[in-house]
Amino acid sequence: MDTDYIIITNNPFVASEYGEDHLVDYQEESFISLLQRVQRFVYEGHELLSHPLSGSVKPKETLYKSVLIAKKVAGLDLSSLKLIDSSIETCEKFHYKEETNEKNLEDMRFVDYTLISSAIASADV
Amino acid sequence: MKLEMGHINIKDVQFGSESKIADGVLYVSEDALRQVVLEDEKLKSVSFDIAKPGESVRITPVKDVIEPRVKVEGQGGIFPGVISKVGTVGSGKTYALKGMAVVTAGKIVGFQEGIIDMTGPGADYTPFSKLINLVMVIEPIADIKQHQYEKAVRLAGFRAATYIGELARELTPDETHIYETCTMKEGLEKYPELPRVAYVQMLQSQGLLHDTYVYGVDAKQTLPTILNPTEVMDGAIVSGNCVSACDKNTTYHHLNNPVITDLFAEHGKTINFVCQIITNENVYLADKERSSDWTAKLCKMLDLDGIILSQEGFGNPDTDLIMNCKKIEAQGVKTVIITDEYAGRDGKSQSLADADAAADAVVTGGNANQVIILPKLDKVIGTMDYITKIAGASDETLREDGSLEVELQVITGATNETGFNRLSAR
Amino acid sequence: MAKLKAVHYINQFFAQIGGEEKADYPAELRVGEVVGPGLAFKQAFGDELEIVATIVCGDSYFNENLDKAKADILAMVKEQAPDVFIAGPAFNAGRYGVACGTICDCVQQELGIPAVTGMYIENPGADMFKAEVLTVATKNSAAGMKDAVAKMAPLALKLAKKEEIGVSSQEGYMPNGIRKNFFEDERGSKRAVNMLLAKLAGKPYTTEYPMPDFDRVDPVPAIKDLAHATIALVTSGGIVPKGNPDHIESSSASRYGEYDIDGVDDLTEETYETAHGGYDPVYANEDADRVLPVDVLRDMEKEGKIGKLYHNFYTTTGNGTAVASAKAFAEEFSKKLVADKVDAVILTST
Repeated sequence: MDTDYIIITNNPFVASEYGEDHLVDYQEESFISLLQRVQRFVYEGHELLSHPLSGSVKPKETLYKSVLIAKKVAGLDLSSLKLIDSSIETCEKFHYKEETNEKNLEDMRFVDYTLISSAIASADV
Repeated sequence: MKLEMGHINIKDVQFGSESKIADGVLYVSEDALRQVVLEDEKLKSVSFDIAKPGESVRITPVKDVIEPRVKVEGQGGIFPGVISKVGTVGSGKTYALKGMAVVTAGKIVGFQEGIIDMTGPGADYTPFSKLINLVMVIEPIADIKQHQYEKAVRLAGFRAATYIGELARELTPDETHIYETCTMKEGLEKYPELPRVAYVQMLQSQGLLHDTYVYGVDAKQTLPTILNPTEVMDGAIVSGNCVSACDKNTTYHHLNNPVITDLFAEHGKTINFVCQIITNENVYLADKERSSDWTAKLCKMLDLDGIILSQEGFGNPDTDLIMNCKKIEAQGVKTVIITDEYAGRDGKSQSLADADAAADAVVTGGNANQVIILPKLDKVIGTMDYITKIAGASDETLREDGSLEVELQVITGATNETGFNRLSAR
Repeated sequence: MAKLKAVHYINQFFAQIGGEEKADYPAELRVGEVVGPGLAFKQAFGDELEIVATIVCGDSYFNENLDKAKADILAMVKEQAPDVFIAGPAFNAGRYGVACGTICDCVQQELGIPAVTGMYIENPGADMFKAEVLTVATKNSAAGMKDAVAKMAPLALKLAKKEEIGVSSQEGYMPNGIRKNFFEDERGSKRAVNMLLAKLAGKPYTTEYPMPDFDRVDPVPAIKDLAHATIALVTSGGIVPKGNPDHIESSSASRYGEYDIDGVDDLTEETYETAHGGYDPVYANEDADRVLPVDVLRDMEKEGKIGKLYHNFYTTTGNGTAVASAKAFAEEFSKKLVADKVDAVILTST
């Protein structure tokens, strides 16, 4: 499907569910590393389409995050820049958790999937 | 729209052979209630328990807290579009069982929802330690998807609350409160000199464990709109939101929204309480812009002088909060916002993820990162298996002596952003 | 039980030694003496806490001999071994406030003794130290002494007794950016309604969470024609004509200087110096162009890269100068810059 957005994610479940029909840029990495990757895209001129922080699942409560960015390189968008920078700063104050239980990991992946799906639903309209 | 709210004060809750309310005591037949809960085949089993204020009891993981109510007279029924058929509510007569609540508990996903301690330091931080709680610990069948289970538990809670509320239908309330709102024209004619004030409520709407329903509609899909403040008293807004325990609005918070009660107290005296405006907190940035633009537009179209704005949650909703505040102020409408804070365990980090000079009147529900030691209690309703997984807890949470070192985040309702509690920060 | 002990720090003025002219008074320990405001504290402390010594130090001496002053005073305090250290109140005296904050911070860090001070909210010492040292908000002059002591004394007692310090709004110290939870008398929704009623009526209200101060200034558009532009030099690096004719202070400046550099191509050791006390002055004194690049701009003038260098430069000392003062200076002299059609300013700082 030719969408005008890319899904940047570290969530293998999102990669597998959306990989076929959508542009997905998946890498296995930490939460903060994912945000930093999004930051690089923003610096290169991609607009942020979804908020880098999820509702109330605090960063570091979950290992997975997916973010939508515009496919087009339009030039540096200041509000996207402010948003990704301040989101990374916000992440700093949270107490990092390690998780090994597979069921919990599966749940975290699923919740991230539903959150990004709600954004994709809006983006696809 | 006029609603007569009758309070039935519940002094005690006991299990009995027959469900009924007599002399202020609620008797619940476990068998009957079990049937109501297990109507949904996706639920395998349910166990019931009663937790009373002051007991050495910990309830965890808490999903929702619901106050049983019944619509005695007037259009529609409780939880319209969810339990009752869709129909405009908020008028006529409704009874509420005060002093007790139905609490749903059970594992939904890996990161769990919350703790209610009925005694000890933890009890000071949750309003639910002051209620008699009828707890339902619910087990799903095997092989069920998370969102299916979430929905099943959510609805089971509402069914149970409706069943119990129904027991009060023929009773006489111990006290009655009347809430009356005017139409636009009535209000202008009746209170021409009073400032026009509305309550703008932001609803969490982002996905699994993050949803709110308005007359059964997922708030993600709504555009900002107007309600009569009495509609929520009949359950027009219900919670599907589970994170975080401290600042998510339980259905109890929606039913008993304190901003609405406190604005009604001033209605006709110092203000004209015009209406309630609800808006959402979506993940997609353009949705945030649209919703905040719309909310500000409504404030202007309604010729409001001031509003109270409450948010739900943290992080990305902080962006909505500030967008709403800025845009509404830019329309010449004065705002007071209610939020909570995540200032880090040392209180030194920036409390909100976004900020603006326009937000110059803020009420805070406190710093959710504050660390608290919860002592070991005698009884746990639910399970302690997930205690380290709750947002605000960690692998270091469980201490050798059995006490818990956690952040206020884990306590259900601790930093609620409808201003339900007295907790604050400076 | 032995009475708890306090050591009180005051400046030359409050010790009644003298005013500005005695500001170079070296640090002096007066054992067993209670001086000036100390008397008011003594009354407030009653039987529980005793001022066992007062340390007097001139504000100039402290700020210009920082290392020695700190070392000497720390030794004095260590010897007295108090349970709490009290400085000021400094009200709006900038250098006094900075001294109070500095010495309290030092005592806390080096000796582990808790400290409390008091000053006016705009005192530069407040912003500098309120996060490290409990700083009571006082009025802006000694007329507010009674009010200051009333707030500082209970805090000093609590610190001495090692009691928990409560929330800033209740204890009277300046919110120091460290958020503390506490229970109000009324629930949040009621507080919100009351706040809205006040806001609607134009009455004063206090927000429970002050937004971080961004103080953003939107940049103006870039200069298109630099070759014809008039550029002015402004500095907070304290560059002044040799001899500092207008006595611009080395810190907490209360004034700025306006100096004509018409015909001056280069600042030299003989003609210019720095008044700034916050950095090692050797290189600036040798060649003040290092801080105020007059020579480079003259070159650019000759080369036609800029139109011309404005004939005045403006200077003050940034060191511990109140934000409000700096703003006021700039508001004043920028009127001249605008009137004389200056196109851009190069602002140097240190």
